[in-house]
Amino acid sequence: MSRTAFPSLIDRRTALKRFGGGLGTLGFVSALEAAGGLGGGVHFPPRAKRVIHLFMNGGPFGPDFFDPKPALTKYQGERPPGADLRTERPTGGLMAVPFAYGNHGKSGLPVSELLPLTARHADDLCVLNSCYTDNPNHGPALFLMNSGSMTPKVPSLGAWMSYGLGSENRNLPSYLVLCPGRPVRFSELWHSAFLPPQHQGVYINHSKLEPDRMIPWLSHPEPDVPAQRRQLDLAAALNREHLAARGGTDTVLEGRIAAMETAFRMQFEASEAFDLSKEPQAIRETYGEGHFANGCLLARRLSERGVRFVQVYYGNGQPWDTHSKHTEQTRKLAQDIDRPIAALLEDLKQRGLLEDTLVIWGGEFGRTPVTENGDGRDHNPHGFTMWMAGGGVRGGLSYGSTDDFGFKAVEKRMHVHDLHATILHLLGIDHERLTFRHAGRDFRLTDVHGKIAREILA
Amino acid sequence: MEPVPTRNPFRGSAFALAALWCLPLLPAEEPEALPWSFHPLHEQSLPEVKDSHWPRNRIDYFVLAELEKAGLSPAPEADARTLRRRLSFDLLGLPPDEAERDTEWSVLVDRHLASPHYGERWGRHWLDLARYADVTESWSDTKSPAWLYRDWVVDAFNRDLPYDRFVLHQLANDLLPGTRHEDNAALGFLGLSPSYWKELQLPPEIIGVTVAEEWEERMDVVGRTFLGLTLGCARCHDHKSDPVSAEDYYALAGVFASVQIADRPVVGEADWAPVRAAREKVKALEAERDGLKKAKPAPADLKDRLAAVGKEIEAIRSDTPKYHTATAPAVVEAALFVKPKGGEEHGTKLEYVEGMARDLPMHRRGDPNSPGEVVPRRFLAAFPRADGSPRPLDQGSGRLELARALVEEAAPLSARVVVNRVWLQHFGRGLVATPSEFGPAGEMPSHPALLDDLAARFVASGWSIKWLHREILNSATWRQGSSASPESAARDAQGQLHSHMPRRRLDAEAWRDAMLAATGELDTAMGGEPFALDDPTTTRRTLYGRVKRRELDEMLRVNDFPDPVAHSPTRTETATPLQQLFSLNGPFVIARAKHLSETLATTEGGDMERIVRIYERLFQREPTAAECELGFAFLSEGGSWERYAQVLLTSNEFLHLD
Repeated sequence: MSRTAFPSLIDRRTALKRFGGGLGTLGFVSALEAAGGLGGGVHFPPRAKRVIHLFMNGGPFGPDFFDPKPALTKYQGERPPGADLRTERPTGGLMAVPFAYGNHGKSGLPVSELLPLTARHADDLCVLNSCYTDNPNHGPALFLMNSGSMTPKVPSLGAWMSYGLGSENRNLPSYLVLCPGRPVRFSELWHSAFLPPQHQGVYINHSKLEPDRMIPWLSHPEPDVPAQRRQLDLAAALNREHLAARGGTDTVLEGRIAAMETAFRMQFEASEAFDLSKEPQAIRETYGEGHFANGCLLARRLSERGVRFVQVYYGNGQPWDTHSKHTEQTRKLAQDIDRPIAALLEDLKQRGLLEDTLVIWGGEFGRTPVTENGDGRDHNPHGFTMWMAGGGVRGGLSYGSTDDFGFKAVEKRMHVHDLHATILHLLGIDHERLTFRHAGRDFRLTDVHGKIAREILA
Repeated sequence: MEPVPTRNPFRGSAFALAALWCLPLLPAEEPEALPWSFHPLHEQSLPEVKDSHWPRNRIDYFVLAELEKAGLSPAPEADARTLRRRLSFDLLGLPPDEAERDTEWSVLVDRHLASPHYGERWGRHWLDLARYADVTESWSDTKSPAWLYRDWVVDAFNRDLPYDRFVLHQLANDLLPGTRHEDNAALGFLGLSPSYWKELQLPPEIIGVTVAEEWEERMDVVGRTFLGLTLGCARCHDHKSDPVSAEDYYALAGVFASVQIADRPVVGEADWAPVRAAREKVKALEAERDGLKKAKPAPADLKDRLAAVGKEIEAIRSDTPKYHTATAPAVVEAALFVKPKGGEEHGTKLEYVEGMARDLPMHRRGDPNSPGEVVPRRFLAAFPRADGSPRPLDQGSGRLELARALVEEAAPLSARVVVNRVWLQHFGRGLVATPSEFGPAGEMPSHPALLDDLAARFVASGWSIKWLHREILNSATWRQGSSASPESAARDAQGQLHSHMPRRRLDAEAWRDAMLAATGELDTAMGGEPFALDDPTTTRRTLYGRVKRRELDEMLRVNDFPDPVAHSPTRTETATPLQQLFSLNGPFVIARAKHLSETLATTEGGDMERIVRIYERLFQREPTAAECELGFAFLSEGGSWERYAQVLLTSNEFLHLD
């Protein structure tokens, strides 16, 4: 663990020495900051400072929304060459997408009728139609999307971000995961593996909206702020006595005294941050109702307060996994996400946050253009759609393409590793240089892969 | 990147990209030059020291010689109270027993080593390495209680099972002549391995990769735990720094391709045969019952027939002795083949052939879909037998031979690794700072001669861990105070020269247990079913708190408990606000503070007397005048005893060891 991830700025050993090994308190990057070594970015100036990832767990079908495929109607029921790729389950013939498309914004970006409100932000959306992944099964694909590996043994993207960038707000965790329930594979999706544990995602079930129920031990069972303040003063005084008896300097002991104060403030800061009732009614109305709407609004409140990475899982289990009645289910799902997403983009823009907040939308993979069970769609790792907005990406762009049926990414193919490399790039991180030494290797998020999709950069 | 020399297809330039993955800290050694940790072990001659009064035993000569070279002197000995506290937390993970205040040191050490709580403390250190979890993946091939393995480890430490035997039991108890049936629980080291979900609707090319990942997981845990080698690195290409080739990797991985995770009885065959038969009979009856329930049309006498079957099941269960005996999560001998489901069917089948073992082909670039030459199972070539060839691992899966090779041919490395782990727990840092990386990519030992001398004598002692504790605890090195002189603070801030004792924070378990001990609530019952840690009324030792691999308890998680998904050689120490929220508002902490204040309320005297009493109880000392004043002021300004006790239970002094 002695190799430095940031050779150009400050050597990790030097940092360790300078801070007497008391890095536990701060983390590496904070030490760099304190040393005056960290400017705007890590390896180069960042375009985005934070990320909101709207995770459609289960996997949406791109041609329903952003990737029009008229050939599906034309060849409905047939199974032409190119439509017989291997997926998880046996599949039948092509199934048409019944949703009408329009061209939106100045860019004329194609968006289907399922997302009328989101379509108003067409010029902010950078649609990635050529994504692909390695496994047609939820678990491995979820791991790959979250951590760049198909098995749960390496740190997640959010943990890497927290490790690499530290926190913009010491009173809140730097990586938060919101889900009204539990996505499949649960905490393994946001774990820190061999990175220090403070970088793992802090999971919050926001199906109950009281801040106390979202963050462990956020308030005293019998709250009495003045009494607690006196307690803290006593603790600080006794801890200083203890420290003085031990020579007066010890970064670990001092770090704990400081963390206690932070915790005290966090009680109020976090309660405030997580309390949607503090939000004006007008704003709440623009987001609409429901868990996903609440998740989007919480994400904005948290991003605004400097949380580095907020992931919002759409729902419990894998709601986007439409193996049957695909069209019917998709209609409902789309209705549920359209208003909150449009509101989130608008809200971020109004507050001047969209320029340096990267919003990402997508699932762990896509779905097949061919049917399963007559009216369902199977998992499809060969080609799928995601989009990004804000944080340094080109809006109004439709990047890459799938084949005529939307089965396989064919043009400007973008593997999940490429997506990760690009996200880190936007954050001012060279994905080849953010490394951590573990079990004899220098691990990185993108393993030995990753190409930055430069065309999508604004 | 310098070009990789071409010797076999796994080293060719086509694999240079994969090679980037495993960057060594140092340039690769010549294959002939084995790293220091592979060299034979010898007792070392004692170095010359100027201050001949300081050393108490052999350890101290090696430490002092280095200090003198650096122009430093050791810190003065810690006071008796500090040493007692240090001893008790080191060996038992509990605060000192004040009844032992005047016991002579050597007697005190013996009593601590004989305490059953010793195994609870040191067993937990081992469980970190073994990535132990009470609740593993729901699709695991075993549902047996994990705690049988946990309790076996605790007991093994308590009876000072020689470390070489400890290794044999955990990898191959079922193949080891003359072991006890209950020792099958030791196989939990492998039986509780993480297993990755295999969606059998997918084709074998995909499932085969997942299976290969599992084999790598076993290679990783065995390599790092026992040898301090990162064997996983050699899956795609020859190891860039350790003397481990890709051929070595597949020669060993074949062993893990020849075992299946399964339940095993912990009683003898004579006792188990009737239980097995009875369980099979019950299974058949249950199937019959289910069939009856589903039968259409339902038989007229359904109710009677169901009752009859139910009665029969009950009778078998109650009449078969040991029917409810738990089996242990373990392994059995079975070779795994990943095959197409067959016929026109989509998907994969996992074919385990019981009693069979298999050799694996090399996987080009680690990809099982690109097989190379088959490699017969054998031990690492860097550890040959007397005849110059590595030990074949061809009896069954080869597990027993593998375990023997670890403690025979590889004994020098295995002994250095475990001695360093014990040292690490006593001093907060190892003689080798990378405890699971003993190859050239790891750190060099700070005191190589000391490590060799200790390891050689450890083997000569019969691999006795308790012998090793005594050596360390009787050294002047361990008895030093924790305050660094200005010179040693400047030149030995990290403490690697051992110019003073590093100050250490209690880990999650020791802190929670210490709170319970301080309030007098600690339930010292040992072993058995785990309890739910999020229940603030539970007072058993933290070791027995339920650890779920996929959902770690919140208190453990924020207090740096390792992710039980992989081998963890050290605990990271962080100080985050979330930890402090637990101190401020955690129901467990509040419950302890409440209990402590209630206990004090029943004692005589005023606030001042009680302040003195609480300091004696928590810190085994009297408060200073300043501390008395602060406490008195807090209480007289309306602060409650409960909130006062909470401050002390979460104070730096309570949480840190000098």
